[in-house]
Amino acid sequence: MAEDIQAKLEKYRTAPFDARFPNQNQTRNCWQNYLDYHRCQKALEAKGVDVAPCDWYKRVYKSLCPLSWLEKWDGQREDGTFPGKI
Amino acid sequence: MLRIVREHARKHPGLIPQFFFICLGMGGATLYLIRLARGPHVTWNKTSNPEPWNQLNPTYQYKFVAINTDYKNLKKEGPDF
Repeated sequence: MAEDIQAKLEKYRTAPFDARFPNQNQTRNCWQNYLDYHRCQKALEAKGVDVAPCDWYKRVYKSLCPLSWLEKWDGQREDGTFPGKI
Repeated sequence: MLRIVREHARKHPGLIPQFFFICLGMGGATLYLIRLARGPHVTWNKTSNPEPWNQLNPTYQYKFVAINTDYKNLKKEGPDF
């Protein structure tokens, strides 16, 4: 399982089609992957497992999200004012 | 209520097409509103189902016509946690 993720990460070009977000507005796609990356990290760290698989979500949100949003959200997470549920 | 409608139709038969088209338009609009409300992009209950789009399987097709996307072979990409 972890080997497939490594293989997928090696072959990564861009964010693949996500059936949950089929339309032009991909805002929610960006948001969901950002949340998923941080939730994945939190969950796998709590279990004590290697967090490398979570990198898939990180690659996807880095492909999709504007940098200004990422900086804003990272700042909010540090301040504790992040509006999403992680 | 139906009796009043029928008397009105008998007295002004030329207005029947207008009645028909009004019903068609309003009916169509409400039905589409209902389709939008039942869609997976709406969160009705924040406590029990806050992100309904995550409950779909990866081959879920929202669009009516899929020209280029091969919906049958899609798979969930990211790892589970």
